[in-house]
Amino acid sequence: MKNTLFRLKNMAQPALHKLQQAGEEGMPLGQRLFLFLAVLVLTIFLSFIAILLLTGTFTAGLSETERFFDNELARTSNEIEEHYDQISLQTVNLAENLSRSIEQKTSIMGISLSNLSEYPYLLEEIISGECDQLLFALQLVKSSGVFLILDATINPILARAVHSRSGLYIKNMEPNVISASSPNIIILRGFPGISRKRSLPLHAQWKMEFDVSDAPYYHRPIEAARFNPGLPISRLYYWSDALQLPGTSEEVMLCTAPLIDSNGCIFGVCGFEISAMLFKLSHSPGSSIYKRLFCLLSPLAADTIELRRSLIAGGYSARIASSKQNALQISKQRHYLYTYRPEQGHKFLGLHSYIQLYPHDSAFADQHWIVAAMVPEEDIMHAVTRLNVILFSSLTLLVIIGVILSFNLGNRFFIEPISKGLNMIKYTDLGSAPRTRIPEIDNLIDYLALRNRELAEKARHENLSFSTLDKFLDRSRELTPAEREVFKLYSEGYTANQIAAKLCLSINTIKTHSKRIYSKLEVSSREEIILYVALLKEIGKEIN
Amino acid sequence: MVKFQRNSVFILLIVCLISISISGCAGRSGEPTILTLWHNYGGQLKETMDELIDEFNETVGVQEGIIISVTSISGSASIHEKLTMSANEEPGAPPLPDITIAYPKTALLLAEKGLLADLDQLFTDEELSAYVPKFLQEGRIKDGVLYVFPTAKSTEVLFLNRTIFNRFASETGVSIDDLKTFEGIGRVAALYYDWTDAQTPAVKNDGKAFFMSDSLFNYALVGCHQLGANFIEGNAINFSSPHYARVWESYFKPAVMGHASIYNGYATDLFKTGEIICSTGSTAGIMFFSPTVTYPDNTTEPAELAILPYPVFEGGNKSSIQRGAGMCIIRSTEEKEKQAAVFLKWFTRPENNLRFVSSTGYLPVTEEAFGEIMSRELETIADENIKKLLTACRIMQREYEFFISPLFEGIDQLEERYETGFKSIASSCGDSYRDLLKNSNPEKAYEAVSGNALSELSNLF
Repeated sequence: MKNTLFRLKNMAQPALHKLQQAGEEGMPLGQRLFLFLAVLVLTIFLSFIAILLLTGTFTAGLSETERFFDNELARTSNEIEEHYDQISLQTVNLAENLSRSIEQKTSIMGISLSNLSEYPYLLEEIISGECDQLLFALQLVKSSGVFLILDATINPILARAVHSRSGLYIKNMEPNVISASSPNIIILRGFPGISRKRSLPLHAQWKMEFDVSDAPYYHRPIEAARFNPGLPISRLYYWSDALQLPGTSEEVMLCTAPLIDSNGCIFGVCGFEISAMLFKLSHSPGSSIYKRLFCLLSPLAADTIELRRSLIAGGYSARIASSKQNALQISKQRHYLYTYRPEQGHKFLGLHSYIQLYPHDSAFADQHWIVAAMVPEEDIMHAVTRLNVILFSSLTLLVIIGVILSFNLGNRFFIEPISKGLNMIKYTDLGSAPRTRIPEIDNLIDYLALRNRELAEKARHENLSFSTLDKFLDRSRELTPAEREVFKLYSEGYTANQIAAKLCLSINTIKTHSKRIYSKLEVSSREEIILYVALLKEIGKEIN
Repeated sequence: MVKFQRNSVFILLIVCLISISISGCAGRSGEPTILTLWHNYGGQLKETMDELIDEFNETVGVQEGIIISVTSISGSASIHEKLTMSANEEPGAPPLPDITIAYPKTALLLAEKGLLADLDQLFTDEELSAYVPKFLQEGRIKDGVLYVFPTAKSTEVLFLNRTIFNRFASETGVSIDDLKTFEGIGRVAALYYDWTDAQTPAVKNDGKAFFMSDSLFNYALVGCHQLGANFIEGNAINFSSPHYARVWESYFKPAVMGHASIYNGYATDLFKTGEIICSTGSTAGIMFFSPTVTYPDNTTEPAELAILPYPVFEGGNKSSIQRGAGMCIIRSTEEKEKQAAVFLKWFTRPENNLRFVSSTGYLPVTEEAFGEIMSRELETIADENIKKLLTACRIMQREYEFFISPLFEGIDQLEERYETGFKSIASSCGDSYRDLLKNSNPEKAYEAVSGNALSELSNLF
């Protein structure tokens, strides 16, 4: 430690010495220029930072993020609304077509749809007859499945018959591939005979009938139709929350509409499916700024998003959150974005807006759905900080480059010409000195040349006899060799410091020599010495 | 002055370097890379896969800045079709993912187009030495370069609905040991047909099929191999060998006579409805077996599954096909390829590999996991069917030779033509056979319809 301090002291010694010298003798022109420029640039830099602070540039990243979320939410929300509108429309069409078609078939069979449950042996034929229509409907809309559920079961005497309903559930496993030569159509629920007849494989979790014990997608539209007998099907369709169909690992949202015959008898439901994968593939926001951006569609209750009832799309595995967290609490912050806070773990920041899944006079018009776009909070903070770091480092870089360049240019175009001009004044015959192209110095040279001439004239006019110059010449012979050396350098225009440096002597020694030189030569300044030497030169005499 | 100017240039350089590194750091920013993944682990397998991917994303993914995003879960055939479409840049095809599951035949197609990353460059020799060499060998599909990484391999075994079989066995005296050979299966299948036929005395010849092979092509490949012959010779099927004739007869005859099933789908479909009770197929199919059989009146019956080693032709050597897709990394940037390799390494770590295997029916891929699963971990597996499956695989690992299917351009089409041709001929012969049965006995009726069937099939090629 001691050694280090000692070494540092040694290193700093020359610099300190220079500063001390500068204090004693004044600051050279170059240093003055550097200091001036540094102060100027620093002032500009600080003023610029102040302007940036005042104009909110450092928080511009946040504003940019807010605009980004606005746009992203608007785009995603429109996309989802359009997609869901199409499904809703096709659900209504399918329900109307199936209602008509099944009514016609049963009427030919001579049975009434109100007594459908009494004819379980006819169910396979009725359902099989609608298979083509379901397959066709599946092609009309971007959906991962289509289904038909009749209010009847194939075996009413089974214990589970009360919750068992016959029907057909066809899934398209690849709804996003539009030109596959063999679409991935498989049967999730339905009679195996239909599967064999149409060479449609059975789903790994196939069951013959639907279990409707916990199936709001089945009961809600039927109940709505019962309580609102006058309402058309277009006001009775229902969107389920995201759910996992019993006995399957599929997470889906279903749009269902009741099947109603011309007598108002409600005999089942039909609808379409949007699987979690289809939702993800169709509505994933693609952002190069926020890679963990995701959107979700969720029912909204008491400022809470229940993740298990939502479908999520995005590159970020938001499912991680949904598997561990049940809800996100929405709260408004002082900035534009909302905070979505899980019970534990990291918060999300983003925006949400309401989405209209039903007409205003629908039986389910009181249900509120939102589309939200959000990212983990740290991502936004990181992006904003990153922008500021880039801005600040760029500014600093520009300042440093500016200082260095201006000092270099200042040296080349300011200090160097002045030094040259001054040297010229010192060493050359001012009358024949070349022009420096710096008006102030040229003027000075002209002035000094004139002054020299005037002095010479004056000397002549005052009958300054050659004996004065001869006396000076004689006195100069009294100088010691050391004093002569210093005198010679003085006469060449060197300053005391320069002479000390050149002769490797201390400044005090030079000063002592100077005093003796002045006394012996009877002069009072360096300039006087220079003048005598110049005059001697003019009359053709030189000091040896 | 010159010295000062030199210093200035040096300072400028330093400043530039500092600023580049500052902005570089700002640019890196910890933003994760999203890698898309296609796999075929659907149904109950999806849950296991999801859990593993979530765990990766939450742990190693966070450290390394990687997010795995699954953008397709579909069957092997569908993934093959999608990859082919994407590779050919067909209209409507989705963009290729960063990592995809692929069978060697699909991978070969992608490798031919230069779309796959060379995995030898992404794994060290030491890392690769941890994997079962034969599994790695199967992934070296072109010029000895590793393109398909073994993530979950499988073989074929025999599945049996033990509940129905026990009922049948107790009345007919057949034994489960009869199912060790294909000839035995043929004999049991004939008895089963008669037994089921007899349950509806009023309706004649309505017996049920006993057996089905999920892949008739693999059946022939392995069958010929067991008998010491090659089913494929010079990129074509050798229909003329006596060994193939034996293999053909062992399936064609029961198929025509209704003892074995001809079905365009997997045997698990027919298991679900009790239409067959025995099949050979991939170990990976285990999760597709339903724990119940559903009958036409919607009554259900619990179905205990038995899993036995792959049957062998009498006098043949014990061998079974080595199957299972691996994962391929689609060529992109060096950085992305490295990140994809990080996921594959993590996914096949022995502890993760064991978790995947113990809930899916695939075989482990590392020597360590294979060793452990075959000894210590087996008893701890909760799923009874997986336990049975791995017990059968343990026997096969000791006693069987795992046979790698030949791979060449066009094998895919060859397989499809063989399957379609065989099924079509067997179905039409079956129809004729049932017509003849009205006035003839089964053997005579079969002889009458099957005379030219084999040459009819070979003429298709």
